[in-house]
Amino acid sequence: MGDGLEISEVTGLGLVAVMARKGVGAEAIGQRLGLAPGLAAPATPHWVGDGALALIGTGPGSWLARSEAPTAEWAETVIERLAGLASATDVSASYRVFRLSGGDAARLLQRGAFVDLATPAFAPGSVAVTVIAHIGVIIRQIDETSFDVSVFRSLGESFHHWLTTAAATL
Amino acid sequence: MRIPCPYCGSRDIGEFVYRGDASPVRPAADGAEAAMFAYVYLRDNPMGRHEEHWYHTQGCRNWLVVTRDTLTHEIPSARLAAPLNAGDAV
Repeated sequence: MGDGLEISEVTGLGLVAVMARKGVGAEAIGQRLGLAPGLAAPATPHWVGDGALALIGTGPGSWLARSEAPTAEWAETVIERLAGLASATDVSASYRVFRLSGGDAARLLQRGAFVDLATPAFAPGSVAVTVIAHIGVIIRQIDETSFDVSVFRSLGESFHHWLTTAAATL
Repeated sequence: MRIPCPYCGSRDIGEFVYRGDASPVRPAADGAEAAMFAYVYLRDNPMGRHEEHWYHTQGCRNWLVVTRDTLTHEIPSARLAAPLNAGDAV
């Protein structure tokens, strides 16, 4: 049993979908985007970075670059920096991102996602692209008790309905 | 049934789309008509291990080559159909 659950929405994010060109490695992507020195884009389903810039692994050679409170030019800058290395698209308006925090957050997600969300299989830094209630989701664990769940914007209401319905039975 | 995606890890079969036998190789354009016919239409129906194409549509969106035992559904291995880089572990 956990100790509660808070569901909120993270808004104002900058998001850019990044797909590496053939032969381009994760190090080159991390370097070009100016991640902390020596920090590569994750080659496994994990995320690295901070509020200013995080790279979320969504598949082999594909990431979601994320920034909290981005400037108006942020997405364009990321796309320009990756020129020749990766195809990048501004998808800031494409997702709704729900923040689940509290001791019951993992328990709630585990009712919908058919992936092991228990430590050590899933831990802070882990990412899973999967499906909950037929809706594609990107689950990102932030710390021991909080997760971000991104869904395509048009499915946001439906996903929120699942969240609140499933949370009521915890 | 669960499929061990080389990137995502063990995933429910509902996340995948099945395409079929991974072994046929497209014959050269100037090849015999019979070879193209065999490539498009003729399939074996083996008992035992079979290499198949599966698409991880609700996960990493990559094509996989999955080795599956058609008798037991055991899946001894799965790999990316087209590794991104020659050195990629997955």
